[in-house]
Amino acid sequence: MVNEDEFYVRYYTGHMGRYGHEFLEFEFRADGRCRYANNSNYRNDSLIRKEMYVSPLMMKELKRVIQESEIMKEDDQRWPKKNVVGRQELEIRLGNEHISFETAKIGSLVDVQESDDPEGLRVFYYLVQDLKCLVFSLIGLHFKIKPI
Amino acid sequence: MSESYDIDINTGVDDEDAMMVDEDTRPASVKRKGRGFRSESKDESRDGVRSGDKYDQFESTTDEDAAAGRAQRSVEGWIVLVVGLHEESTEDEITDKFADYGEIKNLHLNLDRRTGFVKGYALVEYETYKEAKNAIDAVNGTKLLGSTLHCDFAFIRAPISIASGADRESRDRGANRNRVGSRRRGRSSSPSRRY
Repeated sequence: MVNEDEFYVRYYTGHMGRYGHEFLEFEFRADGRCRYANNSNYRNDSLIRKEMYVSPLMMKELKRVIQESEIMKEDDQRWPKKNVVGRQELEIRLGNEHISFETAKIGSLVDVQESDDPEGLRVFYYLVQDLKCLVFSLIGLHFKIKPI
Repeated sequence: MSESYDIDINTGVDDEDAMMVDEDTRPASVKRKGRGFRSESKDESRDGVRSGDKYDQFESTTDEDAAAGRAQRSVEGWIVLVVGLHEESTEDEITDKFADYGEIKNLHLNLDRRTGFVKGYALVEYETYKEAKNAIDAVNGTKLLGSTLHCDFAFIRAPISIASGADRESRDRGANRNRVGSRRRGRSSSPSRRY
């Protein structure tokens, strides 16, 4: 089995609170399956679960975004620990490297600056935003009717 | 305190929590890093993408589907992915390039959150398969601002083959398979695909 072909991405952000387990999570598998889950019980919102398959070119682009971020070089050792506000997880399998980072929710760049590892956390912070941006575009275009 | 740890899989330490990596395809040594491998919040994670419950898929029912090969239609049309965009590409330039093949219903040109420049990809929506296909064939390999573009459909149909190996979530796979299967029944044009 060729190591270099291994690829998996998962991001989770969420917390337990007044409205139960509120979270947003998405994953990409190497075969292109992308799953998205978003739950809030606020005002009786219900769980959203979407699944779609993206093309090999899309997967290649996702891989490029991740590689160029150099997230695999980072380490979550000195990042803020998950807390009552919630947590984030970023799991990436890329070849024979497998990261599963866990940290607190990051409100803004101020949280990044004030952490013990601002350089590393900044990489995480921007990569997560870029990944979310991609996923929201994919979900929006594939499932949603454009609001008029 | 040292939170990071690398595990040689062969030692079998903490193996039970190896996430989403198929046993059979796991190489001899995988370098692991991060606190997530030791997280105790297992119950919560069961609500999310690794749960066994059913996931909604967009199920297309259009006359174009038969001709579309492995491409998958989206709710309002066909989504074309273009990658290799120069970071200074503009919406106008991309619109100019893609408008030749049909009316662009939607364009997402996402930006790099750190630099504010174009991230490198765009998603272009056309109403018909033919427009999207023509755009892909024509634009693929051409240049914009000196950068070579690559083009393809953004979405593909779910694979049919049950034997698609790298999966251990047999429960939800079962559910999804049935779903996909019933959608597929009666159609024979699509070859089985595995990626």
